[in-house]
Order: sequence, then structure tokens, then C-alpha cells
Amino acid sequence: MSNSIYEQYETVIGLEVHVQLATRSKAFCGDDASFGGEPNTHVSAISLGHPGTLPRLNKQQAAYAVRLGLALGCRIDPASAFDRKNYFYADLPKGYQITQDRRPICVGGALPIKLGETWKEIRLHHIHMEEDAGKSIHDQDPRFSFIDLNRAGVPLLEVVTEPELRSAEEVDAFMSGMQQLVRYLGISDGNMEEGSMRCDCNVSVRRRGDTRLGERCEIKNLNSMRYARRAIAYEVKRQIDLIEAGGKVAQETLHFDPDTGVTSPLRSKEDAHDYRYFPEPDLPPVLLDKIFLDAQERALPALPWHLYVQFRNEYQLTDYDAGLLIEDRETAAYFQALCAQTPHKKAAANLIINKILPWRRETGAELADFPLTLPSLAAFLQLIDEGKVSNAIAYQRLLPALMENPSKAPLALAQELELIQTADTDLLGELADQVLAANPDKVAAYKKGKTGLMGFFMGEMMRLSKGQADPKTTTALLAEKLKV
Amino acid sequence: MKIDQQLISRLEQLTRLELTEAEKFRLEGDLNNILAMVERLQSLDTTGVEPLAYINDEGENTWREDEVQNQADREEALKNAPDRDEHYFRTLKVIDL
Repeated sequence: MSNSIYEQYETVIGLEVHVQLATRSKAFCGDDASFGGEPNTHVSAISLGHPGTLPRLNKQQAAYAVRLGLALGCRIDPASAFDRKNYFYADLPKGYQITQDRRPICVGGALPIKLGETWKEIRLHHIHMEEDAGKSIHDQDPRFSFIDLNRAGVPLLEVVTEPELRSAEEVDAFMSGMQQLVRYLGISDGNMEEGSMRCDCNVSVRRRGDTRLGERCEIKNLNSMRYARRAIAYEVKRQIDLIEAGGKVAQETLHFDPDTGVTSPLRSKEDAHDYRYFPEPDLPPVLLDKIFLDAQERALPALPWHLYVQFRNEYQLTDYDAGLLIEDRETAAYFQALCAQTPHKKAAANLIINKILPWRRETGAELADFPLTLPSLAAFLQLIDEGKVSNAIAYQRLLPALMENPSKAPLALAQELELIQTADTDLLGELADQVLAANPDKVAAYKKGKTGLMGFFMGEMMRLSKGQADPKTTTALLAEKLKV
Repeated sequence: MKIDQQLISRLEQLTRLELTEAEKFRLEGDLNNILAMVERLQSLDTTGVEPLAYINDEGENTWREDEVQNQADREEALKNAPDRDEHYFRTLKVIDL
């Protein structure tokens, strides 16, 4: 089919993102909630679904849900409630999942996602609390499945978007943005490989200009962005081809096979799930008072999209630099701390991006462990700004020396190493005479109008002065001496 | 709503129960009686009454602090399982991703 046919369609995607929370214990009992652990060792009578047991909500789950909700501008329900979602599966010992259906804890809100240099708000339908299921292992034995219940009952938040995403790129940006946010908030490690973040994609297509939504298919459990991109691309093409061939998209649940790159129905229609939700009688509504809500509000850090605007507008950084500096909370905070000590914001950004972040990558250390203190870094930037040390010499020689001797003041060390630029016109004049005398042909060419040779003369001056010639003074001096 | 044998079969499947014909007919009668009672309750005018989700109106949270406690050890956990190996619960293979 020709590309022009595909271009007549618009892709509409809604996401359900599951975020595993970084609590110590599980959602409704005191089992260890950490990833890993020997199979079936993080369990108890409650997570095993034994009769006569009673769940009790982990306060931290509610706290984390509220923090995420506040960060995203959701309305927080002061009396959200739990429901039971009933289905039978071996890794769900109770026969139901405790979730929130009628009264989710957060309603509305939006996540700003970064697309190139612009931002787009993806509105949310709601965020609810729930628990994870255990893990089934199917590939160990031809006849049996093995069940590990360590994950059963681990606290999750499910973030449900409105159908406002329009491409796989936007899905990618949404997942990256969500990952960045949960890490900023410290509520989840956001690690997709370990399953801390997973998403279900509801995909439909419609002709451009059509305001009604097409019939949607849900692709389950995409745990890597690469798979999600491929699954969406495949599914969009499948749906358009189907419609163009006169068919109709049926609402179904799909599984994406990364090996074949194909989506296929997970279950037949007759087998469709009927979850028979009803209010969870074992758990009272979650009552959130002002004291609790205020405490969560106070726990919020500066948010990445606010920092981005600040870095662009106040500090005049480029989109690229601002993007790098907000990538994680530690970097943004470090940059802001340095900015509090120096008026040279752009130079501070360059120093962090070009030297300190690579140092962190190489050493695996934390930014706070960088050998130089913030005042020392500020003094270093000041030396460059005042022209006492050239930019090149500062980065190539002074900074490595300072890292060896972090207790020395940058100015003192620069003097000791004779790195201070000189604007001494007598000294520079002598050097200039030497340079011009050694290159009579180039001087002649320059005087005939080949002014590009100024770069050559400057290079010679830098070489003779070991990089210490003050560029401004030197240029002026040379220009004067080369005057026709 | 009317309970018939078709709905009973559907519920049987959803609850993974296996019922005899006699049980199915008894259930049809029971469930219809229960629904009839609920229908009678529904004839009450409840305008302005908040729905009740939780019987014990405690008015305060019963949540717990985030602490690891009361874990069972693996042997205890696997002890009552119908089928198991050394580390895992074991079931007949069911793939439903």
C-alpha cells in the first residue's frame, strides 16, 4: 500500500503505566518488597492469600501516590477507596487483585513531555493504587509452571492517560518523562528492565480530521521502549491495512512477540475477562487530611519541567544544555548549587557538562564527591571570566592540577604553574616583534589583504607565550604592528 | 436481572468451579431468591444517602508504617501447597500473558 494512504490516518494512543514503588514493605503486609531475593522468601500469610488474614495499607504507598499526584497537578481524593478485581491465575493467590476502581486516589492532572525543543502536556485520566501479582515461570519444564510469590502484593501505582498521544515517539517521551519524574520524587527506581515500570498501550487509528475515536486494541505488558515502538508501529499498520481492506478493527487484548515483531490476540472473545469489581470489604477508605497532604507537598523537589524553563530563561542555556542538566535530580541540584556561587551560569553549565558529568560516568561516583568544592569551582570560573587564565589552558592544565590538589586555591595554583595570562604590553610587544620578524612572507601577504593570517600570528603568539598571552591585548598589538 | 442456566455456566467458568447438573439447578433457585431480595431493597428511596463501602465506620485510617515484618520462611510458605518443588509452587502449565 502506498505511503499516502497511511498518511491519511492519525494514530491515537492511551497508556496505562504501572510504576512499582520503592517502599521497604509490600502494599498490604510487612513482606520485604525489594526486587530479587530467593524465590518465595518475601511472603507471608497475607500475600499467600491464606483465609482469615486481613490486609492493612502501607502508609508510604498513599504518601508516594499523593506526591506523584501533586507533581502532576492531579486532584487528590481525600477519601479514595479500594476494590477487588476478580480473576483466576496461579500467580494471584487470593483470586483477586486489590485495586482502586470507583474512587482512585488522584484524578486528572497532566505530564509535560519534551518533544524536541517543545513541550506537550499529556492529560491524565487518573492514578490509582494497586498491588502487583507474583511471577510465573513457564520455560523451566514442558508440563509445569513455577510460581514465585515474592512480587505478589508489591505496591504499584497505575497512571492512566487520556488518549492524547499521537505516535511512538510521544510514547517514548512520555515513558522517559515518567521515569525521570518518579526518580526525581524518589518513589520508584523506574527501571524498565527489572519491571519497575511497564506499560499497556491502547492503540487505535482514525482518518485525519475525524473527531470520533476508532476501535482500540490493547497491547499488554511492554517492558522496554524498543519493544513498545515496534509494537505500536506494527499495530498501526495492521489496523490501517484492515480498514483499507474493508474490515473493522475489533476491540481485543494483544500480546507483542519481540522475536517475530507481531502482535497477536491474547484470548478469544468468549474467554473475555469479566473482573466483577466490587468494594474491598477488608479495607476502609483512605482518609487524607490536610496535615498529611501538606507533608507530601513539602516533600516535593523542584520538578524537571520547571527547572528546564528556569535554566532556559534565567540562565540563558540552550535547549540541549538545559535538557542535559535536568536529566536527573542530582545534576540539576548540583548545577543550581554552583549557580548560587557564581554569576557565570553558562560557563558553569559547560564545566559540568564537559568535565564533571564525564568524570561521574567514568568513576561511577556521586557529584558531591567531585574533588573540587563549589567555591573552588566558582573561583576557577572567575579566573577564566577575568581573563587571568585562558579558557583552553584552564581546562587543559589548571583543572587537572586542581583535581590533584583540591585544597589549593585556583588562583594560587595558576600562579604557581605560571598559567596566568599576561596583558603586559612590553612583554607581548617583544614576542610580537619576534613572530613578525620570523615570518616576513606572511607579514607581506597580510599587508596585501590576506587578513585571515591573523589566526596564524595569534597561534604563534600563544605558542611562544605558552598560552599565557591575553588574546584581546595580543590581537590589538598585532593589528597595530601590522598596520599598512 | 434473571439468572438462567446460561449465566450459571458463565459464572462456573469465571469462578473455575465444576458443578453437577443438580448443583446448577439448586444455584439457579438460590441466586434468583437473592436477587429478588436485592430488588426489594432497591425499591427503597436512597436519594441523598452516601453509598456505604465499609461496614465498620471507623473514621480513621488503619494503615501501617512501612516496615518489613512478619515474613514467613519458604518452607512454611510452601508447606500447604498442593504441588511444589524445593523453591516454587508448581501448577500445570497455563500461559496467559
